[in-house]
Amino acid sequence: MNLFKKSFIYIITFFCLPVLSLTSCSGSGSDSEKADVSSFEFEALSEIKEGRPDIYLILKLIDSSYWQVIIDGARDAAADLDCNLYMSGTSNETDWEGQLVILEQCMERGADAIILSPDDSVKLSPKIEEIYEQGLPMVFIDTAANTEQFDVCYMTDNLLAGQMAAREMLSELELMGISQNEEAYVGIVVGQAASLTINERLAGFYQYWTKNSPDKWHIISDIMNCNGDISTAAGMITKSLEEYPALHGLYGTNNGPSKEIARFVSDNGRTDIAVVGFDYSDEIKSIINSEDYHASTMLQRQYDMSFKGVQTAMKLLEGGKINTKFVDTGVVTVNRRTLGNPEVVSVIEHN
Amino acid sequence: MGKKKEKEKKPNSMQNNRSFYMTIILCMIIFMASIAYLIISFNRLISQHDEHLSSEICTLLTEKMNNSLRFMTDSAKDISEVLSAQDFKDLGDIYRKLSTDKRGDYVGIGFIDEEGVLYATTEERYEFRKWNLLSAATYDQDITISAPYRSTTIGQPVITLFTSFRYAGGRHGTMFITYRLSDLQDIVNTESLTDEIEIWLMDAESANMILCVGTARYAIGSWSNAYLSMQDINEEYKEAYDEWHKSMVKGIKSASLTYKIGKINYSQFCAAIDNMPGWYVVVRIPGNALSATMNTFRNYVLIFLALLLTVVILLIINMYARNRKENRKLEQLSIHDPLTGLLNRRAFDNAAQQLVNSGEPSVFIFFDIDYFKQVNDLFGHDSGDKILKTFSEILKSHFRGTDLISRYGGDEYVVLAKTDSVPAISRTLAAIRDEFHSVKSSDFSSTITDHTFTFSAGAAISPADSSEFEDLKKCADEALYKVKEFNRDGYLWYDEAVKPDYV
Repeated sequence: MNLFKKSFIYIITFFCLPVLSLTSCSGSGSDSEKADVSSFEFEALSEIKEGRPDIYLILKLIDSSYWQVIIDGARDAAADLDCNLYMSGTSNETDWEGQLVILEQCMERGADAIILSPDDSVKLSPKIEEIYEQGLPMVFIDTAANTEQFDVCYMTDNLLAGQMAAREMLSELELMGISQNEEAYVGIVVGQAASLTINERLAGFYQYWTKNSPDKWHIISDIMNCNGDISTAAGMITKSLEEYPALHGLYGTNNGPSKEIARFVSDNGRTDIAVVGFDYSDEIKSIINSEDYHASTMLQRQYDMSFKGVQTAMKLLEGGKINTKFVDTGVVTVNRRTLGNPEVVSVIEHN
Repeated sequence: MGKKKEKEKKPNSMQNNRSFYMTIILCMIIFMASIAYLIISFNRLISQHDEHLSSEICTLLTEKMNNSLRFMTDSAKDISEVLSAQDFKDLGDIYRKLSTDKRGDYVGIGFIDEEGVLYATTEERYEFRKWNLLSAATYDQDITISAPYRSTTIGQPVITLFTSFRYAGGRHGTMFITYRLSDLQDIVNTESLTDEIEIWLMDAESANMILCVGTARYAIGSWSNAYLSMQDINEEYKEAYDEWHKSMVKGIKSASLTYKIGKINYSQFCAAIDNMPGWYVVVRIPGNALSATMNTFRNYVLIFLALLLTVVILLIINMYARNRKENRKLEQLSIHDPLTGLLNRRAFDNAAQQLVNSGEPSVFIFFDIDYFKQVNDLFGHDSGDKILKTFSEILKSHFRGTDLISRYGGDEYVVLAKTDSVPAISRTLAAIRDEFHSVKSSDFSSTITDHTFTFSAGAAISPADSSEFEDLKKCADEALYKVKEFNRDGYLWYDEAVKPDYV
């Protein structure tokens, strides 16, 4: 009878499983990988004195040149103000859970104000609202969260920056001598489709391009999406060139793709391709400085973001009021023609 | 014979079991195939139903979204009509009044007079320059809506509505009102399907889309691009998606589309926005959103069927097991003697007849316990039964499992041994005699201690004595008769018994 019972169980299992699988219960994967949420270090960016308000600066990344400029801006601002400034951040720009832990730690440590560049504008919003409702000044830098529960945000208006990039692409193509009656294509390389910043730069680019480009100049609708793996960019550009021999422009929506585009153009000696990107990598700097290439890059004023962020946090702590919630710190266009411009020189110095 | 006999029976029993399993498996295959067919049909029906209903819902939501935009524009028109009716001389006065007494949910309100002077806050002036908003105000329409942009005042995406009005005796002015994009979500929000529906505003030409209603509350105002979204769609639907987008660029009023991302079906619908040239409301619903309840119901039905199947199978197994047990009992009763467990006469005759008739050599032995009637009288019937059992055990212990042993009636036993070795059987009979002699009468009675149990036996060999079962039996019986006629307590072979000189 034991054998009989076992057989029965096997029969039931064997037949029921495949049939029940037809119910196609769709598995819902977790939103993201679990972060290492043990604890985070806080570094003092100012002299720490008793009795002064504690301002906490929370960054997306703590070990990159872009974010180092932000740290410099915050440190310089704090040096002239009567406050203690601490800094912490995640080592991955998508580790929003890590930032959640940092925010908790800040509250436990008795933060008086928070300056944050959110890793996720959507998922961190509830926590931001919770903190803001407790009366803490909340300042965003570099990236906003999708909530009105904050005091002020200093960042690049990426929609406008995208529009400026499109304007720059049109002017680079003209400078290259591409006629408006000539068929020309522009390819777009994005680093990560899910990023709000990238999407806004993409939207801005399209907005300007569709209203201002000549009829025969087109954007290749098959956007080259690296999905976080920048090493795939060169392969996608090569494929695009095969499909569109009249490809004369490449637009990189952020630092990684811009760097890869510049490297590709330089390695292949493609002086017939105009490059427009973001940030100031060595690769893009190199083709901007070369007379053979047509390249421009959009530089953000991240130093200003954190400098003003600390100043504003202090002002709010002192009872001051801010009428504007969103301050576009803007971008400067860097190309061979603007390299001598004092404003450009100043921004480059902070990059 | 017991264990060996059971072993012989096992293959038959296993065959029965196997056959039973096969029947169960076959039934289950049929059952499962039916269920699978039922589920597939159910899923297909739900899918068709979803596709149809999703399209209807998309249409309704698009209309609802357009209505909410109309609600905003109507509010703006109402205000402008009131302003026109009051015929203000100085716009500055009314601007100061309105800006200090904000009653609406709007983010900002202001005017542009006939000379193009802007009555607005510093932040709004900055936004007008930054986004060239005045170009939206110059459309030759009752009302126009700007593209969404991030407000300096609230830091969130907003749209600005422009409508014309008259002041100072017929001069043309333009009024603007800025609304949060998230207000659209509040107007369009539905009780059900809130977590499933996505509503976007889409600029057809650039393929830019901004989320107005979405699965995540905080994702409202996020930009995306249809070309980028198209990359997620399954390859076979990309062309249709592209066509759908192109029809919007050409200025179609509305268009619907269905496609798949992975295994999920989506229905998507677009409709042109009246006061936002080139812009569309786009609604998307995953196919499974509507069927979630039906899927839950289907799963309940499946669980019920699985339970039902389990109960039915358990009942069948239980009935099968009970049936087998009863059959085994009946089988025992039909072929065995209830007292000794040996074959009964009918079973023995059947088996022995087959064996003898087959021509296989065998020895037929008749046993008769001597004076058993007296033994019964002396020891009592209960003890008589015990003696019969004892003798049965002695027989079983001396013959092989393959030999047939039977209590033929009363104190008569028969054995059909599969051998033709007379010496071997003679040794066996002598050993049985010795063992029966050694049975102590004290084991059956406390008063009789000196009784010696004996038996008489007659043996015949086949085919030497006869190759017919009945004849062989008679031969053995004749030999037994001879033994009983003389001294009893012994055995005799038929060929010896019929010798003329046997005394």
